[in-house]
Amino acid sequence: MSITAETAKAHAHDPAVLCCRAEGGITIEPANLEDPAIFDDLVDSGLLNLDGCLTIEEVLGAKLTKTCDSLCPLTADVVEGAKAPSAPAAPEAAEEVPAPVVPAAPAPAAAPVAGGVLKIHIGEGKDIDLEIPVGALGGGSAAAVPVAAEAVAVEAGAAADSKAEEEKVVRTLTRKHFNITEVKRGPETKIEGTTLYIREGIEAEVIANQELVKDFHLEIITPDLYHTYSETIMDVQPIATKEGDDDIGCGVTRVLDGVVMMLTGVDEGGVQIGEFGSSEGYLDENIMWGRPGCPDKGEIFIKGNIVVQEKTNMERRGPMAAHTAFDIITQEIREVMKKLDDSLVVDTQELKQVRRPGKKKVVIVKEIMGQGAMHDNFILPVEPVGVLGARANVDLGNVPVCVSPLEVLDGCIHALTCIGPASKEMSRHYWREPLVLEALHDEEIDLCGVVFVGSPQINAEKFYVSKRVGHTVEMMDADGAFVTTEGFGNNHIDFASHIEQIGMRGIPVVGMSYCAVQGALVVGNKYMQYMVDNNKSESGIENEVLGCNTLCPEDAVRAIAMLKTAMAGEDVKAAERKWNPNVKSSNVELIEDVYGKKIALEENEQSLPMSQKRKEKYD
Amino acid sequence: MGNVQILLRQHVGAPCQAIVKAGDEVKKGTKIAVPAGLGANIFSSVYGVVEEVLEDRIVIRPDEEQKDEFVPIEVADENDKLALVKEAGIVGMGGAGFPTGVKLGINLAETEMAELDPEINPELPADFKLEHSYILINAAECEPGLEHNIRQIEEQCDKVIRGVKYCMEITHADKAVFAIKKKNEKAVEILRKAVADEADITIHLLPDIYPMGEERAVVRECLGVNLTTMQLPSAARSVVVNLETAAKIAEAVDEKKPCITKNLTVRGKINGGNAAHVFMDVPVGVSVGELIERAGGIDGVYGEIIMGGAFTGKSTELDAPITKTTGGILVTIEFPDLHGANVGLLVCACGGSEERMREIAQKMNGKVVSVCRCKQAIENKPGAPLKCLRPGNCPGQVKNNMQFKKDKCEYIIIGNCSDCSNTVMASGPKMGLKVFHQTDHVMRTVGHALYRTLRVSKQVDQLPDGK
Repeated sequence: MSITAETAKAHAHDPAVLCCRAEGGITIEPANLEDPAIFDDLVDSGLLNLDGCLTIEEVLGAKLTKTCDSLCPLTADVVEGAKAPSAPAAPEAAEEVPAPVVPAAPAPAAAPVAGGVLKIHIGEGKDIDLEIPVGALGGGSAAAVPVAAEAVAVEAGAAADSKAEEEKVVRTLTRKHFNITEVKRGPETKIEGTTLYIREGIEAEVIANQELVKDFHLEIITPDLYHTYSETIMDVQPIATKEGDDDIGCGVTRVLDGVVMMLTGVDEGGVQIGEFGSSEGYLDENIMWGRPGCPDKGEIFIKGNIVVQEKTNMERRGPMAAHTAFDIITQEIREVMKKLDDSLVVDTQELKQVRRPGKKKVVIVKEIMGQGAMHDNFILPVEPVGVLGARANVDLGNVPVCVSPLEVLDGCIHALTCIGPASKEMSRHYWREPLVLEALHDEEIDLCGVVFVGSPQINAEKFYVSKRVGHTVEMMDADGAFVTTEGFGNNHIDFASHIEQIGMRGIPVVGMSYCAVQGALVVGNKYMQYMVDNNKSESGIENEVLGCNTLCPEDAVRAIAMLKTAMAGEDVKAAERKWNPNVKSSNVELIEDVYGKKIALEENEQSLPMSQKRKEKYD
Repeated sequence: MGNVQILLRQHVGAPCQAIVKAGDEVKKGTKIAVPAGLGANIFSSVYGVVEEVLEDRIVIRPDEEQKDEFVPIEVADENDKLALVKEAGIVGMGGAGFPTGVKLGINLAETEMAELDPEINPELPADFKLEHSYILINAAECEPGLEHNIRQIEEQCDKVIRGVKYCMEITHADKAVFAIKKKNEKAVEILRKAVADEADITIHLLPDIYPMGEERAVVRECLGVNLTTMQLPSAARSVVVNLETAAKIAEAVDEKKPCITKNLTVRGKINGGNAAHVFMDVPVGVSVGELIERAGGIDGVYGEIIMGGAFTGKSTELDAPITKTTGGILVTIEFPDLHGANVGLLVCACGGSEERMREIAQKMNGKVVSVCRCKQAIENKPGAPLKCLRPGNCPGQVKNNMQFKKDKCEYIIIGNCSDCSNTVMASGPKMGLKVFHQTDHVMRTVGHALYRTLRVSKQVDQLPDGK
């Protein structure tokens, strides 16, 4: 389609191609030129060859010397009076995740807009197959972060100047760590030294607690038992409790090291409690060790397998009943922990909520699932990752809820989790949220808080909540924002809308999501210029390996670097059209060069023993 | 002669109100309906008796014998030419049907040049002004296959020029320009002779592409000014009138004749061949069937009958009556059968509405799975007919083709102008889209080239000094 003077300016250094037949003698204007956004598709499909093509700035105002047809690249031999090219803007390093440049489509998950791959068959030479991603970009999603060396230097300089104002510690949170080396069953729940005993027969109470819970088995999985078959992992939770009357996010929290709660489950019909993939199989083949939301290698799992009433696995009440019933065990452990003598504390950690007046103020918006069934979250329970006292995100209408960074790290989210084992953020993820931790510790920015916003099922509600997000961030006077999400597909509609609502207020936004191949964005808008892909999987897919594609420290580092670049007004290079994992690697290298520190990259599923499922379905 | 049906709405605006009742005797020129709001008087086109007054029409049974004489129109001041035009019930006869008395009610000498949109006028200085004011005579006869306009230039050039002069007088325009396609060599020669000694009338030659007769295209071609879809020609200090309308103005002023007849072309799958049958001064209200019979009758099986042109006309029936704006009656060959294949529609301001395009797709037995609109087709108000931002100059179509492909279209039917059709052809077939043009069945019938790749220039050499 022909372009406007404004678009021509934005694409001054892109190739000039006639959108329509133009006659010899005309003066070339923007209206004669095709939109460069679709060139890659046309080149890929063989409809266009840009060799020797002049740029838009060179041809504007020049004379076309002979009549040329639609989609003709303007080369020197048909243009008279072309201008000399100006130097392109400084070559900033940086890239982003491709996002479809299409207005958010009012359609559910499979939005009919860009994003898909268009297959085209060419008639003339017969049987030529083309793949044209629709929209400005299509199928793939690249990952990335960037940071021009220059941008960072500027930022650092600015930081030094405004060092005048002192850091302010708003509040602190103390974590007291108790070490557990052994978990046993016994006549009562207790902790002796580093041994945790769980009362025999507690299973009956779990079953009795909820009508929908039809069966329950408790297993203690020690490292030598990792190669045990399990139903899908619904959640991984830290075992923690507050001291005295302390609220979540302040005061003292006691936490057990070396052991985690793990909830697994099916319905009576044997259907896994999960949607879009499940992680059932041998534990050691299906868990991405060390992800923020996952167990670490060496930890003991107190694994409860719940069987819920048939067909309630995809109803709201099924997963809710499972989580509520399972918390009976955790709560009994919490009660015991409250009485532990301080002499058993092996480590004390003080987390500080720091504000840095004068630094760029940033906010983290975390989109959490709120479509219903297991796509829900209990917000702000009384105990870390507890159930009591919490409000379900769906019941709150998915509207934004502002929390302090320390509330996040103190288990204010009990996650019923999301679609896709590889991209869902489990309860433990928030306890170790890498972006919150990284932003809190970064002395160049001022993290003002975290906003949780739910992802409703219905589009109208998605836009209802995203508009609230826009106003919430606006009144914070933030200089920059992160929007993160878990899962992919349906929730990308509101993910895109959150970014738009914040971006349209002139606030740069870095978006973080698993995208890559399978999770390619289905919608997009012009504010989605700074995207970081959480993908770690080898082939860019949802591989059903627990936690594989969730937000990790390496992603947080890239996102912060990208936001700093954006807030400094530097350009971030547009994403490549198709997902290219090299974009991420080169961004990591750039950041390493600039900051002079090594960024540890996470392993992916290739480090795990190959499961039968992966072998058959993915690798 | 069968019953004459005179529609109460033959113009832009509200339907007229009938002022006769069943049983009334009427003559040629008897006023039978008056405007209720924007509109124009309606007169009986025949001698006869009112048989019925229906909600939308007056049905008149004509007498056996029809005299040529008519009841002259009456106005308070016989020298008030604008009043004569208004009273005569003249509307734009090129097809739009805007009441001419309203259109000419403007003093162009005192009309300021409007602000132009710089985006579509990149070559004009910001403060561009036209020195003169203009009557632009639309003689483009742009709908392919029609010939009655050009025939009227050839046969009644003097009358047309008289009408043009009256228009100039009424609107205080100091110049007039005939916009006519260069390919009509005979008509151009006749015009050249007629305007040779007219100091203020010139000729602007148009290329043979569609559309050239669109009002804003005429302004652009003659004056070099691009109007937005919301601007009227008065924004360029001009009024555009169809040449047949000009002739009607001359009749109203010189002969006090009301607007009761229409010139038109009947053409297509007619016994005796597909040449044009031009009928001058056909009484308004005569049926389509009667005119087709006059031309020779339908030759066997046919596809559809179109009232109007191939691009902007609509399908019609044999008993439908012609109006003051009917320019063509086209009988087409049968439609090809797509056997239910997936079809995409490219709707454009230059061709049929989406409804009309869907009708054609249905007649071709195609399944519409995708509808795109040309980027330049602007809907000024919701539901208003589309208008092209830059008539005849394509904005690019490859994106639409990509959408059609994505929607799994096997065929596309396009309603685009010559230039846009050319662009569609630059990528559509390469992508494997089989392209039909909305006018194909008409073009095949009348032996006109199909609208596909453009092979003629949009530029034509002008006459020296427009003479």
